[in-house]
Amino acid sequence: MNTSAKNCPVVEMKNIVKRFGTITALKNVDFKIDQAQVMALVGDNGAGKSTLIKILTGIYPPNSGEIYFEGKLVQINSPREARDLGIETCYQDLALVNLMSISRNFFLGRELVHQFGPINWLKIGEMSALTRSALADVGIQIHSPNDRVGSLSGGERQSIAIGRAVHFGAKLLILDEPTSALSVAETRKVLKYIENAKVRGLPVIFITHNVHHVYLMADAYTIIRHGEKVGTYCRGELSENDIADLITGQREK
Amino acid sequence: MVNARLTWQREIRHLFAESSVAGPLFTLIFVFILSSLFVPHFFSWRTVSGIVNAATLTGIVTIGVTLLMISGEFDLSVGSLIAVGGYLFGQQCAHNSPLLGLALAFLIPGFLGALNGLIRVRTGIPSFIATLGTGFIFRGAAWILSGGSMLQLTDKLPIYDIFNGRFNLLDDLLPGANFLTSLLWLLGTVLVFQYVLVRTRYGNHVFAVGGQVEAATAQGVNVERVKVINFAISGALAGFAGVFTFCQFQTMRVASGSGTELTAIASAVVGGALLAGGSGSIWGALIGVLLISMLRTAVVLLNIPFIPADNFEAIVGVTIVGAAIFNNWVRQRT
Repeated sequence: MNTSAKNCPVVEMKNIVKRFGTITALKNVDFKIDQAQVMALVGDNGAGKSTLIKILTGIYPPNSGEIYFEGKLVQINSPREARDLGIETCYQDLALVNLMSISRNFFLGRELVHQFGPINWLKIGEMSALTRSALADVGIQIHSPNDRVGSLSGGERQSIAIGRAVHFGAKLLILDEPTSALSVAETRKVLKYIENAKVRGLPVIFITHNVHHVYLMADAYTIIRHGEKVGTYCRGELSENDIADLITGQREK
Repeated sequence: MVNARLTWQREIRHLFAESSVAGPLFTLIFVFILSSLFVPHFFSWRTVSGIVNAATLTGIVTIGVTLLMISGEFDLSVGSLIAVGGYLFGQQCAHNSPLLGLALAFLIPGFLGALNGLIRVRTGIPSFIATLGTGFIFRGAAWILSGGSMLQLTDKLPIYDIFNGRFNLLDDLLPGANFLTSLLWLLGTVLVFQYVLVRTRYGNHVFAVGGQVEAATAQGVNVERVKVINFAISGALAGFAGVFTFCQFQTMRVASGSGTELTAIASAVVGGALLAGGSGSIWGALIGVLLISMLRTAVVLLNIPFIPADNFEAIVGVTIVGAAIFNNWVRQRT
């Protein structure tokens, strides 16, 4: 990796505009995340956080605006292209396929195969062994890689999705409301895994409307309201109440 | 030696665990034992081969329908594609070029199946509605193809025996048996698609697309491609079933195959496939088809006064619902 990629922000989005019919979902939004940073993207339901992220992950094209990935101007036209850049996304509880086993989920889209002409024969044993050791590496113990994901708790599922991103060398991890459906104890565990990811140098965008979950862990907060950016603030600049007020618009910046 | 056997056992267990086939298999064995004990003339090679023969045509279709259902889609047009495939094959047989007919009976229904898939993924119309419509259109295509008239040939071609002739090896061995060679084709196709499903990358993507489309998309799986290919497979196998039908009877009518689409869906569900997608197996589909065929035969042989041979559908219906509930119950316990 060259030095310029190290020093510049992982992702910089400039002047992003997104319209759905007559509704403007995002009005000239700027967004930036640095290396090894946990950036909280906060806002009320419908504020535009998810739209912004769906533009970054290639699900929606923006009407205008530019995206820079590691300093280079990029066009992201599909989720596949986003992932090829190293952007890994976990949508709420939808990151894994509940009816499939842990190892099949772990290697989904990156299956290890023997190739015989057009046939891609799965290396099932190898994938199972690697799943177990890779998850153990990031501090996640599983009973068996053949267990169905649906039999795990919500927190375990999130941690496996995070472990997968870390293992495959993602350059940016996006978590969309990872803790909103979890119990307090489970939330604490998932936050610990995110902390681990950060220690390994992986930048994380943490999307949430619950300030309480990210307050202690995020390095910075970007607040969005009614499709406009309210501002980006460093850790310690604002109290939890300040952030909540900015989200709801009880207070202007 | 011991190690090799352990690996085999693990392999088999693995296959069963992943395909949730245990419930349907148990039901099949249970119904077989019950029928053998209480239904007159049931426990014979003659009856067993009759059950199997009646199941092969639907069985071929059910393989494609099940694969498609696992990826979260329905195909109600397969019944019509049987007729399209049957006419394409039969008309070429009449011109003494059965191999060309065979190719056409695969390619054109396969292409029409892909068209189903494109309509589904490009317009977003639910496949249940889209293929209900195209099913009528394809039936119309069969009418145009045939001019509305029945096709009947009297000359015997060797290709008929290859696909659906007398299975001499088995029939000479087992007293009273009347198996057809289509059984081999069915088992071969089941084997191929079961392994495609559980042991290839493509199969992995089929499960992911039907199980949780958001997760599959986020991991870079090309959801539209998987669905269109599955629709094409479903269409091509329906065309193949048309070939079998023609080989068995040397006749084809515009209405041939109608109703098979629903029996195929029923068989897939009885065999453990989830209507919502994401779960199921080709083994299970085979068991489902055999189970429904077995029940029909048993009910006909029982000769109940108010359920004569032409009113066995009610009993089959009750069992479909029962089997689905039972499978659900088994799955929740494992």
